[in-house]
Amino acid sequence: MKLPAVPEPESPDKWEVQLRKGCLELAILAALWEGKLYGLEILRRLESDSDLIVSEGTVYPLLSRLKALGLVRSEWVESDGGHPRKYYALTAAGKKRAHEMAAIWARFSSSMGKLLGPLGKGHK
Amino acid sequence: MTVASDAQMKTDAYLNRLRESLGGLKPEEIGEILEELRSHIADKAAMGGELTVAGVDAALAALGNPEELAQEYVTDAVLVRAEVNRSPASVLASLFRWAGMSVAGFFVLLLSVIGYGAGISFFLVALLKPFHPDAAGLWIWRHSGDVTYSVRLGFGAPPAGARELLGWTIVPVGLSLGFGLLMLTTHFALWSARQYRRSRALRQK
Repeated sequence: MKLPAVPEPESPDKWEVQLRKGCLELAILAALWEGKLYGLEILRRLESDSDLIVSEGTVYPLLSRLKALGLVRSEWVESDGGHPRKYYALTAAGKKRAHEMAAIWARFSSSMGKLLGPLGKGHK
Repeated sequence: MTVASDAQMKTDAYLNRLRESLGGLKPEEIGEILEELRSHIADKAAMGGELTVAGVDAALAALGNPEELAQEYVTDAVLVRAEVNRSPASVLASLFRWAGMSVAGFFVLLLSVIGYGAGISFFLVALLKPFHPDAAGLWIWRHSGDVTYSVRLGFGAPPAGARELLGWTIVPVGLSLGFGLLMLTTHFALWSARQYRRSRALRQK
């Protein structure tokens, strides 16, 4: 029996995984920035633009949570494939959230950039 | 047996298993989830152009075990309730579903029931103390003949020889401790559900 999350020392690999997982919500909101997409398109977008390899079973529950939180809305659209697809789009609250998260990301990344600058020069 | 009906049967079998595990959600939510996944499977299986049984198998494998997928939907419901509503009753209702699905969920429910129960007890005792000072309180007593002590937090005539531990300080202590425990338990439920979700978020490369 294992309870979720046993604290243990993190290897750099694990740290990277945590970092990526923490960005998933922002990545999905950002993928929807330019317009509505259905689940499989969101998955492909994340893989091609961010190399976030998301497990397929995760993105659908996550989308339904974002919807319950009012950050995205959904609509069914008939497709030429013969079945309807569920499209997601950002709501006003979702756009605001994406903006806020992107601003935090930019601030954090530029301040870390300053701090990490010397590391790039020193290690050849 | 045609390819299309074979593929259809496999998809139906998968979605039926998922439907059974999603039991506690609202019927319209379940319907929506199943329709969306059916559409995903059809799109994914036909990606090479034609719908094939192998394509359906691959799409189902990528979605993972239906019981585990159901747990993700259910733990997400815990997260939404804890974030939006924060009422213990609603968090517990969603934890009950998770508890029916996995050992981890069961332990999270158990600890949450204890946490909420203790929080509400402290709260009630603090509220009742001004009206029934002799009955409400935190009492401690020693059993005759042995060295074990019993502690009772609650309402009712205290046993003979029991000593009250906090007196009137139970009012501020009980209120803040009760409130603290309720908050802490909600945070714990939220944290556990989030840990579970994150543990499954990314695919192995």
